[in-house]
Amino acid sequence: MSVHDDPHAWNRPAPGRPGGGVSMPSWRWLTEIMWRIEHSFGRARADARPEEDTRVRIFVILCLFSAVFVCLALGAVNAALLAPRGGVGLIGHPNAVSRADVVDRNGALLATNIVHYGLYIDPAEVWDRRAAAAQIRRVLPRVPASRLNRVLSGDRRLIVMPGLTPGEKAAVHGLALGGVSFEPEDRRVYPLGASATHVLGVTDTGGQGLTGAELAFNREIRDAGARGENFPLSIDLRVQGVLENELARAVEESQAKGAVGIIADVQTGEILGMASWPTTDRLNRATSAHYEMGSVFKTFTVAAGLDTGRADMNTRFDASEAFMIGNRRITDFHATNQVLTLEEVYLHSSNIGTSRLAVEMGPATMRDYFTRFGLLDAAPIELHESARPRRPGKWDDSTLASLSFGYGIMITPLQMSAAMGALTNGGRFIPLTLRKGGLPNAEVRQVVSPGTSLTLLDLLRRNVVRGSGGRADAPGLRVGGKTGSANKLVNGRYDPTHAVGTFAAVFPADGPLNARRYSILILIDEPGSYPRTGGFVAAPAVGRIADRIAPFLGIERRADQYRTALGEKIPAFEDVEGDGR
Amino acid sequence: MSATGALKRIFDWKVRGVRWVEIIGLMLVAAMIFSVYLAKAAAASESARIASLERQITQNGQRVRLLRAEVARLEQPGRLEALSRGAGLGPIDVHRQATEASLPELAPIPDPEPVVIVAPTIPSAPADTNPSPDAGEVAQ
Repeated sequence: MSVHDDPHAWNRPAPGRPGGGVSMPSWRWLTEIMWRIEHSFGRARADARPEEDTRVRIFVILCLFSAVFVCLALGAVNAALLAPRGGVGLIGHPNAVSRADVVDRNGALLATNIVHYGLYIDPAEVWDRRAAAAQIRRVLPRVPASRLNRVLSGDRRLIVMPGLTPGEKAAVHGLALGGVSFEPEDRRVYPLGASATHVLGVTDTGGQGLTGAELAFNREIRDAGARGENFPLSIDLRVQGVLENELARAVEESQAKGAVGIIADVQTGEILGMASWPTTDRLNRATSAHYEMGSVFKTFTVAAGLDTGRADMNTRFDASEAFMIGNRRITDFHATNQVLTLEEVYLHSSNIGTSRLAVEMGPATMRDYFTRFGLLDAAPIELHESARPRRPGKWDDSTLASLSFGYGIMITPLQMSAAMGALTNGGRFIPLTLRKGGLPNAEVRQVVSPGTSLTLLDLLRRNVVRGSGGRADAPGLRVGGKTGSANKLVNGRYDPTHAVGTFAAVFPADGPLNARRYSILILIDEPGSYPRTGGFVAAPAVGRIADRIAPFLGIERRADQYRTALGEKIPAFEDVEGDGR
Repeated sequence: MSATGALKRIFDWKVRGVRWVEIIGLMLVAAMIFSVYLAKAAAASESARIASLERQITQNGQRVRLLRAEVARLEQPGRLEALSRGAGLGPIDVHRQATEASLPELAPIPDPEPVVIVAPTIPSAPADTNPSPDAGEVAQ
């Protein structure tokens, strides 16, 4: 009696013809092999060696099991020895935080995450509730008494107060009260307080940016945090500090309602300092407030005139009498009553001269140049607060005249800073940025020719040496700039008691077009002291700021053709008018 | 066939009815289990140590962050300026500033003085220049 099945009892298909409808080549190959093995058993029996049959089967099963175990062993060895480093256990960076520290361009800390603690009390474990309440209130005066009493008189563990600093936690912990526990929570901290507050912005308690750079770079700050890195801004804290201190001083001296200061690198578009005063105000006046800036716009009108070839420095404009457009009479603040060259128009800040130039150029040209300087669009910067300007509705002659000396259009200080940068770096409009090192692939567009830029630089410098910006000069730093003084529209009338004094400066104004150069914009909103013109309220601050930040920026004091390195006059050039308008 | 025969002999080599092959195999398995146990125990203690070190690192890191924030708060420009003004300090007037290159003008390097060669003086007596405790006692 054989233990083996009768081979003829199997309904065996012929080799090469597998049943079951599966027709994959590999499957067919496998079934063929199986059947061949089965067939060999039959052959073995036919050769009267039935014992071979069982042994071969055992051998085959042994081989299969061995193969499986070898595979498992290889897998185990692979996992143990060749697994990627850090792939097991360590997920992410050991120094990872939910939001990266924001630092300035030199690594000084601006914003960081500090673990704070929530104070929890389980009243069931408190021995003497009244004593506990008194003790906690003694070491933690800012705890709300009503909340503390409600939790203590309750019957389950509740939060009393979130956001205890580590010091406060230690103080409460030191009381050794029963039932008091702490739970860590990550909080955004701005150790500089009000300094740079408008640039940085704030986050919500969930760690998402709400305003300022925290919102603008929200994703990048979080990504940098996950990598355990800092996130650098283009701000230079030393420059920012000087700007804020001098701005506060200027506000104090002029008893102003508000003020704005922006310092930028005109070659890269990096903002080195940006301040808005008062710092308690949520509004960032540098990005979101609109101003009619007055005579500062004459710079752009003159630049357009020079760039189109409509005028050169010696072109004459009749300012001997008021310029009439329809019924409107345009006069000069300081009437010269004579025919002026373009240079004199600029240095005397003649409304008549620039109005005539603007009307001559016509609406298409003016509009083209204002668009090029970015005066008709929101200033390009990462900050979401950057507001769109209030543009004129129609471009008739009267509007053109107003635009030529900075009325009829309300722009943000940031737009002015960007436009001044474009005018003084060879005519390239570079988007402003808070990113350290500038925007990696910024869209730079040519707005005026390098020649116009060079002429304007000299004109700005002359305006400080001979014109209205004398108070902005800093010894040896070759400051160039233009004053702006405008009255605000109050109840439909331009009210001289509500003024805006501006000074848009650049230093050093000499040297080649691609030399390092920084723009300083100071705007004083509604100065209370008299005179309220930019040359008196804003220009002195510019001079002091340039004087103090030059060492940080590595600008050396040098003589130019107008002044010595120590700021003394070189006699060929005299003040034409020291009135500061 | 001889190789098969040798293999067969090894398999048939028994002590008290138990194959040596099995005994050796069991011993190897026991040794392996023991060594794996040792390795696991060592790894567990190591990972506990790593965890405690990591906890310390995290705590120290938090402390460092706290101190950095404190430093930033204390060194903020507004505070420093207020303190400096309080101490009577202020920006330096341009006339009192100088660059490194202008130093020779401000304080010219004096001409080297003529070198006077002095003959070495021979001390008259060692006690004069360096009185010894004995000399003091004598003076008393």
